[in-house]
Amino acid sequence: MTQQEFNTVGKSVRRIDSFDKISGRAVYSVDVVVPGMAYAKLVPSPLPHALIKSIDASKARALPGVYAVLTAAELVNMETHYGSDKKDRPIVAMNKVRFQGEPVAAVAAVDLATAEAAAELVEVEYEELPAASDLTSALLPDAEPIHDSNYCHEYGYEWGDVDAAFAGCDRIFEDTFLFPMVYHYAMEPHTCVVSYEHDRIRTWTSAQHPFLVRAELARIFGMQLDQVQVVVPYVGGGYGSKSYTKIEPLVAALSREAGRPVRLAQSVEESMKTVRRHAARATIRTGVMNDGTFVARECLSYVDTGGYTDNGVRVTERISDRIVGPYIFDNVRVKSYGIYTNSTPAGSFRSIGGPQASWACESQTDIIAEALGIDPIQLRLKNLAKKGDEVRRGKRPLEGDLAPKLQMVLDKFGWDNYQREDPSPTVKRGIGFACNVTNSGASPTSTSLVRFHADGSSTVYIGTTEIGQGSRSVMAQIAAEELRIPLASIKVIGSDTDSVPYDRSTGSSRSTTLMGLAVQDAAVDVREQLLEIAAKHFETFADQIEAADGKATFKGESMTFGALIREMFGGSGGELMGRGYVTQNHASGRLTQDPVFWEVSIGAAEVEVDEDTGTVKLLRYVSASDPGKAINPKQVEGQDEGAAMQAIGHSMFEEMLFEDGQFLNPNLVDYRVPTFEDLPGEFETVLIEFGDGPGPYGSKGVGEGGIVCVAPAIANAIFNATGVRLRELPLTPERVWRAIEKSKQ
Amino acid sequence: MVQANEKITVAFNVNGGDVEIGVTPETALVDMLRDGLLLKGAKRSCDMQVCGACTVLVDGLPVSACTVPAFEVRGKSVTTIEGIAADDRMAGLTDAFIDNAAIQCGFCTPGMVLAAKSLLDCNPHPSEAEIKDYMRGNICRCTGYKKIVEAIQEAARKALQG
Amino acid sequence: MRPFRLYEPTTIKETVARLSELGDDGKLYAGGTELLLAMKTGLLQYDGLVNVKTVPELEGVSFSNSGTLNIGARATHSTVEHSADVIAHAPLIASVEHRVANVRVRNVGTVVGNLCFAEPHSDPGALLLLYEAEVDIASPSGTRSASVEELVVGPYETSLAGDELVTRVRVPLLPNGMRGAYLKFGYHHRPTLGVGAAVSVTDGKFVDIRLTLGSAPPKPTRMRDAEAVLRGAAVDDPAVAIEAGRIAAEGCDAIDDLHGSAEYKRHLVQVFVQRALTEAVERGVK
Repeated sequence: MTQQEFNTVGKSVRRIDSFDKISGRAVYSVDVVVPGMAYAKLVPSPLPHALIKSIDASKARALPGVYAVLTAAELVNMETHYGSDKKDRPIVAMNKVRFQGEPVAAVAAVDLATAEAAAELVEVEYEELPAASDLTSALLPDAEPIHDSNYCHEYGYEWGDVDAAFAGCDRIFEDTFLFPMVYHYAMEPHTCVVSYEHDRIRTWTSAQHPFLVRAELARIFGMQLDQVQVVVPYVGGGYGSKSYTKIEPLVAALSREAGRPVRLAQSVEESMKTVRRHAARATIRTGVMNDGTFVARECLSYVDTGGYTDNGVRVTERISDRIVGPYIFDNVRVKSYGIYTNSTPAGSFRSIGGPQASWACESQTDIIAEALGIDPIQLRLKNLAKKGDEVRRGKRPLEGDLAPKLQMVLDKFGWDNYQREDPSPTVKRGIGFACNVTNSGASPTSTSLVRFHADGSSTVYIGTTEIGQGSRSVMAQIAAEELRIPLASIKVIGSDTDSVPYDRSTGSSRSTTLMGLAVQDAAVDVREQLLEIAAKHFETFADQIEAADGKATFKGESMTFGALIREMFGGSGGELMGRGYVTQNHASGRLTQDPVFWEVSIGAAEVEVDEDTGTVKLLRYVSASDPGKAINPKQVEGQDEGAAMQAIGHSMFEEMLFEDGQFLNPNLVDYRVPTFEDLPGEFETVLIEFGDGPGPYGSKGVGEGGIVCVAPAIANAIFNATGVRLRELPLTPERVWRAIEKSKQ
Repeated sequence: MVQANEKITVAFNVNGGDVEIGVTPETALVDMLRDGLLLKGAKRSCDMQVCGACTVLVDGLPVSACTVPAFEVRGKSVTTIEGIAADDRMAGLTDAFIDNAAIQCGFCTPGMVLAAKSLLDCNPHPSEAEIKDYMRGNICRCTGYKKIVEAIQEAARKALQG
Repeated sequence: MRPFRLYEPTTIKETVARLSELGDDGKLYAGGTELLLAMKTGLLQYDGLVNVKTVPELEGVSFSNSGTLNIGARATHSTVEHSADVIAHAPLIASVEHRVANVRVRNVGTVVGNLCFAEPHSDPGALLLLYEAEVDIASPSGTRSASVEELVVGPYETSLAGDELVTRVRVPLLPNGMRGAYLKFGYHHRPTLGVGAAVSVTDGKFVDIRLTLGSAPPKPTRMRDAEAVLRGAAVDDPAVAIEAGRIAAEGCDAIDDLHGSAEYKRHLVQVFVQRALTEAVERGVK
């Protein structure tokens, strides 16, 4: 990797959206006001599983100030179902409700108070059905089918000869691990404004993938893509909760019914009833030799996708992709099923299937190490995939060696020098480690447009949504670097499908890599045009011209870029445009394989366990962010720290509780998310930059890695401290206490 | 006595300026600020006084504007994030947040900054433990808190240096 | 939130008259941190709220010559937490109040309001029970007093009549020689368990002892049966502390809820009674 001198790339410059956000003038979807806008309120199903016998909205419609009530009966002359893979989600419930909170109707009224009052007047008659809100009950042979059956999707792959391999192993381990339902808690709940007009739809929505929403709305309402505009203002947190299409079709249908724009601003409770992470039960059977060689692995996973598929197809697949771990196994058989349950639909959440898979496989790695009497780090190193290995057969080989990356984290943590000091006979300390690689990047489908203005400033257009990850700034840095102009001369316009060119999505850690390449290409396109213009001006060849600091220089003579453009257009104005297309066939040749890149995840934890109460204190946690090349190092750290903290949540106390379909804790008092007091005494992320990514300057994505290995690292540390192994999350004090008590028997 | 739907006149000072606005008794402070006065910095998130996204300062003290009724600020002085951003004396605090990457999605930021300001007003040199203790009522889901702590520490140091 | 009428009396007399007039349709309103939340979610509904903050007689915090801390109905948790009188004379109360909810709730919510709402998962009740605090109550027919123990009778339930107003809590300081500790446990927004222990020790033996539990039982509870085995026992006799913990656990009437199973809560009671006793003996404060 050559040392390159950068002007803005690699520097922790100020984000371009910082001042908007700290001044209060940043616009989020809930701040959008459209003239004539009505306010919506949902009528949710109180029951988790029921047939809808009748809906009487007459009293609601008669209330003064009510513009419309949307029910299934109003879904005419349109498609009624949507979804990112299976289109199994009705816009409002049709004939049946499948989870508590499913919208059965929606009211649009002159103000929220009227809408709320009208919502209470909608009368719905249900015929209750038996509800199954967990995997066990949904898988019972006599369970009431939620769709045609309770099976949503099936996925698997294998290589080698697993059965023969197991027969030849010295030891076989089989363990089952449980991962809970957890909620993203993006602090901004799902919110959208839709203006349905007879020949077009405009929406301002808190969504992560505006172009996918556009496609879905166009399909539902029989319009062309150019008739649908999706604008995504700043998003107050996504983490996958706002991936694909959520409430936009409902609000669009309601707007159509009401004949005016409508805003639906959900409450946190309503958003907890909109999407969550897939719970999982994973059984791993691993065959090893006594010397620690990994030989065979067989996995069977069930993921709980809730009442509708949402992103269930992909999550069912990803848990299987990720459960083999970062190790070489010559014999693998993996199978996973997505299962419907009567609970909030489960969709994308930061590293889909990653935490669930790693919770299982990296816990088992330590179980194996303990049984074989091998140091858990040595066991990992022995089997770790190396650069160029097909860590998953048929997929992109691993781009970089993992062992040195593991060592960086271990060194930062002080693993080899750790001296255990138990504060008392019943308060024990221990350390634990975990690592994995996850197939990331989704699909390489991004385009960018760069306009270069006659005064030397530039506007960059990206489809990437700004959900907090700093995408606008990263793209500005890349553009500034390639255009050879100051960062302050760049404006970024994002996520308005009428203005910016196509980007598939914002998620799966893909934006810096893929949109970044598109921006880089577009900026280089402009620079090359400028060099051509300069070559004509200086009567020489483009490769004789130096472009830097907003100027083209040849033999000591300079022209500013703006002057070159004005000269070309012959006046005081003019503009250049550059474009970037990113597809699988990108000129770099680095995007032909799947996944776009392997995202690396490493974590080391020190815990203190109070055996009398089961309380686990996370004393130290060292994570890793492996961006290949950090465009903005401080932002990379921030993303990794944030991801790790979310994982501390699902590791220690986050859990959505359902009982017979009743959602017991759909609010922030009863659903406990991490606070300042959960920040460990030492909380570091090691920045790894080996330039081994396919993105600009050798970069790749990092937003998700930090969430993947926290839970197994903590559980491994608890085992190291107490000798007690937990296989179910979250590691609440009661759960840990019970496990300790049981181990004493 | 105020009848239902009859409005109460709330005369108060917001960000240094006197205003007067009529609100019904059940109107929450956050809605009066956002919809009545177009001060959209304060956000509604959990709506239960847990998350702090709605934090504003009333006579210098942080309160949950999602639950405190608007009429409660009669005769009082309210500070919202718009007031902080416009105040040059607050640049040390806002710069510290920006420079320490303590802002990601920004939804918690207005409340977080106001809480931090009120902390530094009553405790100009807080220890890390004191920062975590005071700020534990403000939730952030993006940053993992570390950089917010660092931002507050930097703001405290800069204020010390004057 | 459904619309309500706001009443703003300026005297205690006016306040209780209004309460009487409103009957079930009216409710006292101070900080509203619990009340308004319940009204927003529709769990409670009132046509009229009677604001006690407009009544100057319902003062904040004061310290009387007789050695009693008076916490008026208008006093917020913050006021109590930062009060010079509280910090000087009852620092345990200041430190426990400091940990109530979060800083925003403390700035608005009142101690009296907290007692009267009687949320089981809460600390002030169990703490004030430790001090054998009493409340003064006003009604159209006059005034009366009651102990905190008599006031809070169950989850969200007090012994107050509909037209009664608690005007203040009178908190006697711990007697000379008595020192207290209060430990709380929980990772949720509200506490799972609170244990208050106040002890006086002479010649290595417990002379007087008070033990209270909060959050795990349905209401703040004085654990007299547990106190009985401790009185006269050696402070460094672990068996006695264990026995006291066991008795308290058995008598704490815990239920399964989001905070945990009754079994686990009983176990926590055992653990924390012992820890609270140790804390009170070794590091207890007034």
